[in-house]
Amino acid sequence: MTSLAAPGFDEARVRERARLGAGAVFPHPDGYGNTVFGQDPTAPAGDEIDELRLVPPVFVPGRLTRLFELGEEPMPGDVLLDTAVGGFAAPYPLYVSAFGSTDVSASGLAAALSRQAGVLGIPMVIGENLVPTAGLGRLGERTRGALLGRIEAYLSGAGAHGGVVVQQSTQDADAEVWNVVYSDPTATALLDQGRLAFELKVGQGAKPGLGGQTLLRREQAAGLADRFTLAELYEPGTDAVLRCATPGTFTEEILAQQIRLMRNNYPRCRIWVKLPPGRDISRATEICWGAGADAVTVDGAEGGTGWAPAAFLQHVGLPLAECLARVDPRDRDLLVSGRILDGARAAKCLALGARAVGLGRAALIAVDEDPRHGLVRLIEAMALELRLIASALGKYDIADLDRDDLWSPRTRRTVAGPARQHEGASPSMESMEAGR
Amino acid sequence: MTAEAMLTSPPVAVAPPQQRLPTPQMRATLRIQQRILMTVRQLLHTDGFVELLPPTIGPVTDPGSRGAKQVDIDYYGHRYKLMTSGILYKQASLLAFDKIFNIAPNVRLEPLETATTHRHLAEFHQIDVEFAGASRDDVMRVAERLISGAAAAVCEHQSADLEVLGRNPADLKAVAGGGFGRMAHRDAVAELQSLGHEQSSAAELDWVGEELLSRRHQQAFFVTDYPKGSRGFYDRESRTQPGVLRNFDLILPDGYGEVISGSEREHDYRRLIMRMRETAENPAKYRWYLDVAKEGLPASAGFGIGLERLTRYLAGHAAVWQASAFPKIPGVVSP
Repeated sequence: MTSLAAPGFDEARVRERARLGAGAVFPHPDGYGNTVFGQDPTAPAGDEIDELRLVPPVFVPGRLTRLFELGEEPMPGDVLLDTAVGGFAAPYPLYVSAFGSTDVSASGLAAALSRQAGVLGIPMVIGENLVPTAGLGRLGERTRGALLGRIEAYLSGAGAHGGVVVQQSTQDADAEVWNVVYSDPTATALLDQGRLAFELKVGQGAKPGLGGQTLLRREQAAGLADRFTLAELYEPGTDAVLRCATPGTFTEEILAQQIRLMRNNYPRCRIWVKLPPGRDISRATEICWGAGADAVTVDGAEGGTGWAPAAFLQHVGLPLAECLARVDPRDRDLLVSGRILDGARAAKCLALGARAVGLGRAALIAVDEDPRHGLVRLIEAMALELRLIASALGKYDIADLDRDDLWSPRTRRTVAGPARQHEGASPSMESMEAGR
Repeated sequence: MTAEAMLTSPPVAVAPPQQRLPTPQMRATLRIQQRILMTVRQLLHTDGFVELLPPTIGPVTDPGSRGAKQVDIDYYGHRYKLMTSGILYKQASLLAFDKIFNIAPNVRLEPLETATTHRHLAEFHQIDVEFAGASRDDVMRVAERLISGAAAAVCEHQSADLEVLGRNPADLKAVAGGGFGRMAHRDAVAELQSLGHEQSSAAELDWVGEELLSRRHQQAFFVTDYPKGSRGFYDRESRTQPGVLRNFDLILPDGYGEVISGSEREHDYRRLIMRMRETAENPAKYRWYLDVAKEGLPASAGFGIGLERLTRYLAGHAAVWQASAFPKIPGVVSP
């Protein structure tokens, strides 16, 4: 265990899961037979998603269908969790989201995380800021934390599922991250198996309107001065400088064209787009899908792992619940993240329209707790919870969860879906993409 | 062999220079290349073009497309690039003369998959032409004159070399005679789709598709009007047909494929910035170029001829690396 901390995040619970795996899904076994259990009225209310309740029905025709198939009563283990996530086959509706270029991401944790994600066969996103700070891992700079090293670590997991997703942002265009990966022998195996994706990062993940913010030592900063704005925030004697990246300038046309250029330039890759939780999120997702993106990932403002001003952490951006209320993915891949650490929150997001959910801080903390098995155990716990929940809802394919499975105490009704205001909103773009 | 099979064949081991350079085939090939250069220079000079020596390094270069990586070099502590193409300098050079050309070395670290297309080298040369005030049609006419002129000159003066290489001059007759065909990108896509080839209407013609089209023609032909999103920021977008670029490729017949890319150019400062963003570029790194554009880049059109590709075609080689004395096949470590 290292000194990694995540204030405000239910870190203890993640660490317990990283140690105990599926055993942590239930109360501690020592209490069995001598304690009565029920909802904890003192538990913090959390956000709007936490407030929602999963509401199983009495009548379960879906279970009857599965009963016909099996010839015996279906059990939670009969729930299918396999999901196509952004063009990759994954055994769970889960992926590891990127984390910023904090020292955390460049440390040995990153390699441990990559290896475990590879073992699990869940897609893993590698953050945009990694190259300018930790390097590509080419020509002698190969460290375990560098980008190509992380791909190698993922591949060493030897899973046949999942894939690696490499981010690039406006400022990273200078480092040509995608071009390097696309032409590097390390990526050949992924390309041959159709397991490489590139993710266009629009803005700064969970913090809309900001570019990546990184605290650097003066020595590190000197080498980046010609490409990034550096800001002096601290006393002159302090060995810390803030590196500020730009969020990039986007219009609808700029975003659509960038996606089309990615498809043109990297025909063997899947194309993902990461959007910040902006107020025009619904329109932005339609632009992405219309231009041919395989997946759109959205971080709720409560997500994020990177360094950012407190004002942004506390006050800026739409919460994940609101993003999910505004976006109508229909049959397209919407991937979301934001304080996902258990099966209940994951199931709610899936029911609200997400195809899969991303683990950011939870994945990092799990690996910090146990670099060899922490993430695998955390995912085992989540998978068990997802199976228990789906089965209770009378559903045996995780993709079947929908809004009918959720009840809101605010409205005392089943959760309503987004108005389909954008149906057919961009016919010209979609028809141009028909040739793909 | 089908085009699909050709594209998946492994790259051939290239003999070392001491074995390869003295062979009659190599010598014949290099003499053909020499004839191309002499002819092109003569035609361009006659047409009033001024030859300039191209820069080989700079703070920024053509971002290109299709995933090729640029080569970074340490220029006194600054990150500089080897030229992937001289497009930015070509446009700026028009401040000196209205008609210019370069014979320019370019380096592109192409994706490894291009090692087997028979058409890619990581290091190659372009005959780069830029013409101020010209339209696309104007420079397509120049391009046709150069290609047909080079073919005719090789047939006339290098017949002994063609014989050494087993290249029948009759196979070059159509190209040497000019009168190249022309089709829009959308028609090329329709033709490929009618052949059962999956070609996106929103993207560049893929390697297999380009070769399939080339095999179906006995005369060189231009493909025009590529969609935005398939080319660099400097290819001018049509003002009357948004989303369509005022550009062209020249495709050689008989499976040899693309030999020229060209276009009318964006030159207006604000449009350049817009197009840079649409191609995911950070305008900050193009500062010197944008500073020039702010003060006024001339409107122009131009193109680049792949010298080794043209040599390969005229010499009748199976692969473009055979048209280079010291070929760099993508991903292959070689002298």
